[in-house]
Amino acid sequence: MVADVKSALKEFSALLGEEHLTTDAATCSTCAVDGKVPRLIVYPSTAEEVAAVLKLAADSGFALIPFRNRTKLDIGNPPERYDMGLSLKGMNNVWHYEPADLTISVEPGLKLKELQHLVARDRLWLPLDPAGDGQASLGGIVAANASGPLRHAYGSPRDMVLGMKIATVQGKIIKTGGRVVKNVAGYDLGKLLIGSYGTLGVIVEVSLKLFPLPGRRETFILQPGNLGIARDLRRRILESPLSPLRMVLLVASAGTKLRVDAPRAFDSSRLEMCIDAGGSDSMLMRIRTMLEGIAKELAVPFESCNAQDAENTWVHASDFRRWIGEGHPQAIVLKICLPISASEQFLSMAQQEAENAKARMAAMSLLGVGIVYVAVLDSLGAADGEHLTRRLKHSAENLGGVLIVEQCPLELKMRLDVWGEPKDDYEIMRKLKMAWDSRRTLAPGRMIGRI
Amino acid sequence: MKSPPLIRELVRATNTEAVLWRAEDLLLYEYDALSVMRQPEAVVFPTTTEEVVRVVGIAAQQGVSVIPRGAGTGLSGGATVAERGILIALSRMNKIVEIDLENQRARVQPGVVNLDLSRAVEDAGYYFAPDPSSQKACTLGGNVAENSGGPHTLAYGVTTHHALGLEIVLSDGDVIHTGAKFWDRPGYDLTGVVVGSEGTLGIVTEITVRLCRLPEAVKTLLAIFDRVLDATRTVAAITARGITPAALEMMDGFTLRAVEAATGAGYPIDSAAVLLIEVEGLREAVEEQAQAIEAVCRENSAREVRCARSEEERALLWKGRKNAFGALGRIAPNYYVQDGVIPRTRLPEMLEFTAEVEKRYALRIGNIFHAGDGNLHPLIMFDARDRSECERVVRAARDLIAKCVEMGGSITGEHGVGVEKNELMPLIFSEDDLEMQRRIKGVFNPSGLFNPGKVLPTGKMCGELRIQIGAGA
Ligand SMILES: Cc1cc2nc3c(=O)[nH]c(=O)nc-3n(C[C@H](O)[C@H](O)[C@H](O)COP(=O)(O)OP(=O)(O)OC[C@H]3O[C@@H](n4cnc5c(N)ncnc54)[C@H](O)[C@@H]3O)c2cc1C
Repeated sequence: MVADVKSALKEFSALLGEEHLTTDAATCSTCAVDGKVPRLIVYPSTAEEVAAVLKLAADSGFALIPFRNRTKLDIGNPPERYDMGLSLKGMNNVWHYEPADLTISVEPGLKLKELQHLVARDRLWLPLDPAGDGQASLGGIVAANASGPLRHAYGSPRDMVLGMKIATVQGKIIKTGGRVVKNVAGYDLGKLLIGSYGTLGVIVEVSLKLFPLPGRRETFILQPGNLGIARDLRRRILESPLSPLRMVLLVASAGTKLRVDAPRAFDSSRLEMCIDAGGSDSMLMRIRTMLEGIAKELAVPFESCNAQDAENTWVHASDFRRWIGEGHPQAIVLKICLPISASEQFLSMAQQEAENAKARMAAMSLLGVGIVYVAVLDSLGAADGEHLTRRLKHSAENLGGVLIVEQCPLELKMRLDVWGEPKDDYEIMRKLKMAWDSRRTLAPGRMIGRI
Repeated sequence: MKSPPLIRELVRATNTEAVLWRAEDLLLYEYDALSVMRQPEAVVFPTTTEEVVRVVGIAAQQGVSVIPRGAGTGLSGGATVAERGILIALSRMNKIVEIDLENQRARVQPGVVNLDLSRAVEDAGYYFAPDPSSQKACTLGGNVAENSGGPHTLAYGVTTHHALGLEIVLSDGDVIHTGAKFWDRPGYDLTGVVVGSEGTLGIVTEITVRLCRLPEAVKTLLAIFDRVLDATRTVAAITARGITPAALEMMDGFTLRAVEAATGAGYPIDSAAVLLIEVEGLREAVEEQAQAIEAVCRENSAREVRCARSEEERALLWKGRKNAFGALGRIAPNYYVQDGVIPRTRLPEMLEFTAEVEKRYALRIGNIFHAGDGNLHPLIMFDARDRSECERVVRAARDLIAKCVEMGGSITGEHGVGVEKNELMPLIFSEDDLEMQRRIKGVFNPSGLFNPGKVLPTGKMCGELRIQIGAGA
C-alpha cells in the first residue's frame, strides 16, 4: 500500500458507510488470494459506489481484486499487489426481465442458481453449468467466461452476453452493447471484459440472452474400452445429426474413486462417456436408438441412467475441480484447450506422463468442444509438479493447443506463468490494460504475461 | 499520363500492375452499397499479407489513410473514402487456406466470398452459418468487419460467434495473430473486439472460422396474414412457446408484391404480411416444431400456413427473400435501407409507428426484416432527383432510428455504423462510453491511419444521419 492508509480508509468509509467495509483480520484472510491477504474489504451496493471505490483505490495507489463467492479466485497468476478486496455480494438485483424477449439484466452478485430459479417459472434458463454448483455469481462467470459441459450445445458466456455496464478506475460507469439480441453499434467492449478476470474493469450489470428449457432429458452412459474407441465414438456422434446438450469423457487412473457420493460409483478401470440429451419423447427415443446403434457397432456397453444418477453425474462433472479437489488439497488442476480432434491423444499422453510421475490423475474432456480438464491428484512437490506440468504443456502445444494451470500449490504457481507464454498479440493486450487501468489498480499481475 | 510517385511505390510494393489510379478506373470505388464519398488516390489489390504490410508502410509514410475493402456491399459507407486515402481491396486474397472438418474449422483469406466457403464444404455436410442476404457477393473479411448476420443467425449467432482467430496488420505494420483454432486462448479476447470494428482497428488478412454441421432435416413455412399486426404478434408468440426457429423473417404486403413480380417465388400478393419461418434439426424435432409453429400462427389469425413441399420450392422462397432489396429497387428509382433493432415484443408497436412515419412524410416504406431478432430493415423508396423527397427520407429514417433507441434497441443490428451513423452514436452512448471506445482505437490504430472518419463520431455533424442520397443508394 502506498499513500496514507489511514486517511484512505477514512475516505472509503465516508463513501460507503462504515458498515460497508471491514479491516477485520479474520474476514480479510478468508479473501486471501495465493497467500496474499488484503487489508480491507469493501461491500458497495450500487454501481455508482463501485465506480467511486475504484477511482479512490486508483488515486490512493491501492491494488484491488473484485469478487463475489470466490469460486474462481485461485485462477490466475499470484497478484503482484493486493491491498483490498471488493465484494459484490451486496449487488443482487434483477433490473430487467422480459421472458417474451428472452432477455434479462442483472447485477453481478446474483448467483446463477437464483437466476435459474427466477426464469424457470417461464420455462427458460441460462444454459451454463460452470464450476461452483450454481453458487457462482453472474459477474464472476462472465469475467472468467466460465462454462461447463453445457458448452457443447450452447457455447460460453461470450455467446450469451448482450451488453453490460462496466465500472472503471476513472470512476465512470460505461455501457456497451444493450438488451437486444443483435447490435453492432461501436466497438464490442464487452468481449474484452468477458474473460478478463477483473483486470480491466468491474462488471456492474450484465444483460444476457435466455433460452427455452428443453422438454425432457435423458442421460446415457457409454463405456469405450480404450481411448481409441472413445475417439471413434466421438467422431461418429459429432458427424451424426444427434445434437446432445452435453457430452463428456471421464478418465481416471486405476484405484482412483470418482463420483464418491454417487449411488453408482465410477469404476476407474473404465472410461465413461456421459451424454445428456434433451427434447420431446420422440426425439429422445430417436437419440437413444441412434446412440445404441453406434455403441453396438463399436461394441461399447451402453445404458440409460435413472434420473438421480443423471443428476449426480452432471453436478459432479460441472464441478469437476471441486469434486476432485475435495480429497486432494494439493491437486494440480489443468485446463487444456485443443483442436477437437486432439483430445483423446492428449488424454493418452497425460495418462502416460502421470504414470511416469507415479501420480494418480483424473480427467474430464468436453469432447465436442476441445477442452480437457486434468487433475493430478497426488502431492508431488514443487519440482516434480513443475516437471509434470511442463511435460503436459509440451504435449498440449505439440497437439496445437495450450495448457492453463487452474489450480496448484502456491510453490508451483510461483515457478510458472499459469497462462503460458504470451504471443505476438501480447503487446496490444498490455497496451489495452494500460489504456484502461494505467496505474494497474485491478488485480495487477494476474493475467497472461503478468499484465 | 505518367503515374505519380505514390502509385509507383505501390506498384513496386505489390509486384503487380494491379494498382488503379486513373480517375475513370476509380469511379467504381467512390461508393459502396450505401453512398458515394470521395475518390480514393488509388486502389491496390495485394495478394499476400506481406504486400498488405508494405502498402500500409507506404501509406503511413506518405500520410494518406488506408481503407480496407471487400466486395463493397456494405450498407453504411464503411468501405468508402472519407479522408484522402487509398483503398486496399482484398478481393484477390481469396484463397481458402485450410479446411479441417474433424475440427470443424476453416482458415480463409479475407477476400473469400461468404457463399463460396459454404459451397466448398457442403458436400461433406458442413456450412458457414452467418448468411447475409448478400452472401453471393460479400466477403468474409467484410463479414468480420461488420459482424454480419443473416436470416439464420437467429438460431446460430452472428459472425462474432463463428470467428475464432484473426491475422491482423496493424497501422505500424506489425502483424498479430489473435485467438486460435481452439476455444479459450488465454488473454484478452482481441478477436472479439476486432470483429465488428469496421476496418478501423486493423486489416484482417486471415480468418479462422467455425464450420457447422448441416441439419438432417429442414422445413420452411410460409405463414400468410391479412393484417400486419397479426404477423408481428406471432413473432414473439413463437419464441414464447419455447421454439427457436432457425430463421424467422417478415415481409409486408408492399414488399412481397415487389418480390413476387421480380422472382415469381409464390408469395401471395393479396396478403398484408408473411412470415418466412424455417426449422431445422432432427427429423422428429422439425416435425414437432413445424406443427407447433403452425398452431401459433393460426391462433394469431394467420389466413394460411404453407409448407414448402420440395427443395425447389424452398429455394425459391429464399431466393425471393434474399433478392428483395433488388426487387424493390425495380419499383422506385432509389431506395434507402435502414437497419435498427428493437426487442422483438415491441414489433407490433414499431410497425405501426413505421406506418405513421410513412404517412407523415408521404413516402413509401417497405418492411422486410429479421423479425425473430427484432432487426428491422425499413426500405424507404424515393426519387433522388426530387430534393424535397430526399430530405423527407432522411428525416423519416432518423425518426425510425430514434424510435428504436426509445424502445431500448440499437441504431444498427448488422449493417454497421460507418459514415452513415457515426454522428448518431451519442443517441446510445455517453461521452464516457465513447471515450473508452476511443482508447481501444488508440491502442490498435494510434496514428488513425485506418478508415478515418468512421464509427466514432467526429463531432462535426452532431446527431445527423449521413447519407448521400441520390447516387448509389
Ligand atoms: C442486397 C444486400 C443485402 C444485404 N444483406 C445483409 C444481411 O442480411 N446481413 C448483414 O449483416 N449485412 C447485409 N448486407 C450488408 C453487407 O453485405 C455486409 O455488411 C457485408 O459483410 C459486407 O461485406 P463486403 O465484403 O461487401 O465488405 P465491404 O462493403 O467492402 O466493407 C465493409 C466494411 O468492412 C471493412 N473491411 C472489409 N474487408 C476488411 C478486412 N479484410 N479487414 C478489415 N476491414 C475490412 C471495410 O473497410 C468496411 O468498413 C447486405 C448488403 C446488400 C447490398
